[in-house]
Order: sequence, then structure tokens, then C-alpha cells
Amino acid sequence: MGDEVYSDLMRDLKEGKYVFTGELEPEKAGDVHEPIEMARDLKGLVVACNVTDNPQSFAYVNSMAASYLIQKETGMECIYQLRCADRNRMALLSDVLGAGALGLKNILALTGDHVSLGDTPDAKPVYDLDSTTLIAMIRKVVDEGKDLGGNEIHNPPKLHVGGAAAPGAANLKAEVAKVKRKIKVGAEFIQTQVVYYTDVLDRFFKELGKVDVPVLVGIFPARTFGQADFFDKYVAGVDVPPDYLENMKKTKEIKDKEKRKEEVDRVNVEFFTEFLEHLKGTPAAGCHMMAVGYPRIIAPLKKVME
Amino acid sequence: MIAQEQKPMEEILGYLEGKQKIVVMGCGGCATFYYTGDKKAVNEMAEKLTKEGKAVTKIILPLGISACEIDMSAAFLEKNRKAIENCDAVLMQSCGDGVQVVNEYIENKMGLVKAIYPANDALGLVGGGPTKFKETCQSCGMCELGKTAGICPLTSCGKGLMNGPCGGVRADNKCEIDPDKDCAWVKIYERMEKLGELDKFIEMRDPHEWSKMKRPRLFEIEKPLSPVRAMLGSLPAYLTLLRKPKLEE
Repeated sequence: MGDEVYSDLMRDLKEGKYVFTGELEPEKAGDVHEPIEMARDLKGLVVACNVTDNPQSFAYVNSMAASYLIQKETGMECIYQLRCADRNRMALLSDVLGAGALGLKNILALTGDHVSLGDTPDAKPVYDLDSTTLIAMIRKVVDEGKDLGGNEIHNPPKLHVGGAAAPGAANLKAEVAKVKRKIKVGAEFIQTQVVYYTDVLDRFFKELGKVDVPVLVGIFPARTFGQADFFDKYVAGVDVPPDYLENMKKTKEIKDKEKRKEEVDRVNVEFFTEFLEHLKGTPAAGCHMMAVGYPRIIAPLKKVME
Repeated sequence: MIAQEQKPMEEILGYLEGKQKIVVMGCGGCATFYYTGDKKAVNEMAEKLTKEGKAVTKIILPLGISACEIDMSAAFLEKNRKAIENCDAVLMQSCGDGVQVVNEYIENKMGLVKAIYPANDALGLVGGGPTKFKETCQSCGMCELGKTAGICPLTSCGKGLMNGPCGGVRADNKCEIDPDKDCAWVKIYERMEKLGELDKFIEMRDPHEWSKMKRPRLFEIEKPLSPVRAMLGSLPAYLTLLRKPKLEE
């Protein structure tokens, strides 16, 4: 990792602060009003927000455009998610340069769910690069001012690149070897996929051992039972605990909207308090709170970590 | 070999709508092995088309004579020149190579312009058998197997990643795209572990060079192979087939 610091996220991580990041999801719409509103709610609670790039291969507003608008309108620093599923190496490079030109400071380099899993299943999947080679390309662009072909880049962008990890992977040794590979080629931070089980977390950190880059552990407090159920059923590599799912399901029976919200919050705070208490004892440098559309839960959960 | 399956009859009849005289041509190569271009397949196709009121001429290629190898299949086309001259369309029970090579010959060498249609869908280069086959090579022109413990991730990984596994591996190490398929990168990890080469696993493999796949790829050899001579020269080696192991599915 270079010594330069271009973003608030990297500044806080380098200073050893316990870092919280959030997540914003652009939608299938011609605007980004909703994520902008969410970003306003999250201001001051998280240092930066991931802006998803066609999550689960559902085609939404371009992540770079959304990141730029969110950052411009709200001042919320964005972690621009960029996936290899939809772009070849030329398009990826163009986007990285574009991101730098628009003042984006962090990229999370992802391989991306397969296009056949989303809402445009007949699309041709690309995967010209993978998350590791994308990380390597971005570092080459930023550090050496060169593209993959060795061509000079005038005034190269100044941004940081991170990678993802899947602590729940069945073959954890292979997964961790891949994460170490990403670190080796220049990932400056790691954000994990959602974890619900403390023993999954412990196994992951034990296998990972000591690494030189900060690891932010992903959690997903669900706003509705439907969200939690979707994660359990459709998000690869994530199992949601049945008790938590059951408690979330019960909230559906509450007719009064406000009371239902209160109960959802209670279920989440109860479940994640135990998880976050455990997280304190791990080498995690922070927590990535993927509470999409659910900013009100961040403050009570952060309180647990104080 | 190139795996293939027959298209739905509805689609085939759609192509042949308004065409009365049809030449149906099989293939003695891959299509014969997949029952989509052998003698029986051609006869069955002819029967179905006859029932639809078409007048059919059959061109059956014997085992070993591929439609796409024009130096061998041309003799069968010439033998049926009259039928081809008079037909409204040619229906090929072969892969797309067969369709296009035969089309080029009919148009450029026989001087006939004829509508030509595929009866099959080609499903890729596959290996294995005797009844189950798997696509393991995509002829990319730049073999990566030396870097991946002999398993091609470009073909066997659903995403074709050079540096996996991705985050979508299922709990049983199957692929996120298809619960019946193994994660190629978990397989590569396991092979490298057995070979004592895990240090290679953690090294990044560069992005694949797709420049060797500029299509259409053209290929040339100095002189054509004489199949008879090649077969005669290999006669002693054919004796090995007497000890052919019984393969269980």
C-alpha cells in the first residue's frame, strides 16, 4: 500500500480509527433521488458509503454517475463499486479514469454476480478481468500512471482500491488464499460479504491470520422480513440464521406501521448487539453496515461499538 | 468433438416454409456420434419432411466423412448435383461448420445459389463419454492449463475467471450459476494442494490474451493429411482398443 491518502475513508483507516461504512443502492430509475436522501440521513454516521453497481445483476443507474451525484449533492464520500461482469478491460479503465475525473476517491473492485442471476439473464457476461486483475490494474493506473498495456496516463487519478471477501465460503482456505492474492496485488482495504454467525467470523480471521490491510466486516440489518429472506434465498454465500428470520417474519403480523418499525428495530438491535459485541474482539478495523434503505438503525448499532 | 442436438421441428419447418424440394444432408463426423447426422437421423428427418408434403433427396455421409471436410464431402455433393440444382433448399444435419463449408462449396465450386438451413444446434467442443460429455476447452488459442493445474477456468468456471474462486460459491462448492456444476476454482485449489503447488494458487494470473481469438480465425497446414495412410500407419496401435476399459457412468 502506498503512503498517499486521497480519501476520508483511507485517512480514518490509517489513523487506526474504528470505521463504519454504509451502503446506497441506485435503482432502476432515471434519477438518484432516493439514494441521495439516504446519504443525507447517513451523513455523520458513516465515513463513506458504498454505491452498488448492478447488485445481484439487476441493471440499475450507473454506479459512477450515482456516486458522483451523491457525493456532489450531500458531501457523503462514496466507495464506487465497480464490477467486471459487464465491462471489458477497456471499459473498466475508462470508468476508472472517469471516476478520478469526477472526484471519486475509493473503488471497491468486484467480479460481480453472474448476469444470468439477475433481471437481464440473456445478456452476454463479460468477465474480461476479475476482481484481482482489476485491483492490479487500478494500482498500476494510480501508482505508475500506466494502463495494462503499459501506455502512459496523463495526470493519473488519485484513488484507493479495495476488494471483497466471503467469510462464509465453503472452501475457506481457497477463499482466503484469493483474498491474500488481492492484498498482494494492491488491495488497500477489504470489505467482507455479510456475516451473521460469530463462528464464521472467527474461522475467517483465524484462517486469514495477520494481514497488512484493514478488514471491514459486513453486516446486514434488514428493514423488512422480505429483505432478510431475499438475502437468505438469493445472495450467494450468505446464510441468514433461522431465529433471526423467524423474528423478522413475526413483525409482519403487526398492523400498526410505527409499532412494526419499532419491533423490526428491536429485533435487529437485539440480534446485532451480540454480534457486534463479539466483533470488538476480532481484528476487524471496522464494520460495513449494508443497511440499504434503513439508515435509522445505524445510530443504535454504532452505540454498541462505543 | 462438437456436441450437437437437433433443433425443434417447428423451427426447421419454419425455415422450410414455402420450399418444396429439399436436399437433406447428414454428417459422418461429430453429428453421427450425437445421433444428429447419421444415416438413421437423415432417414427420420426425410420421413418427417415427406409427411409435410416435401420432396426429399437424402445425402448420407458414412462414418468418418465429415461434412466440414470438403475434400471428402465434396464427392457426395457432386454425386447429387442434379438434386441440388433442382432443390429449393438444403437442410444440413451437422454443426454450423458443416452448413457453411457445404454452402461455400455449392455456391463457389458448383456455381449454384441455394438456400441452406441448419437442422442442428452445436453445443461446443466436448470430451468424455460414453454417454456423458463435458465442455472443457474453448479453443481460445492461448492455453492457460499450465497455470491452472490442468483445469481450464476460462471454460469450466461459469464466469471464466483467471483468479477465482468468486464469492458466489455455494455451500457444497458448486457454482452460483448452476447447482449441478462444480466450482472450477475450488477444483483447481484442491488439485494444486494435492500437487504441493499452492504457492502458485496465490500468484495472480494475468488477464487472458484474447488477441488470439480474433474471429474468424484462419489456419493453414502445408499439405493435407492422407486419412488412409494415417489409418494404415496406426494399425498396430488400434490393437489397444481390444483392451478397452469398461467405462461406468
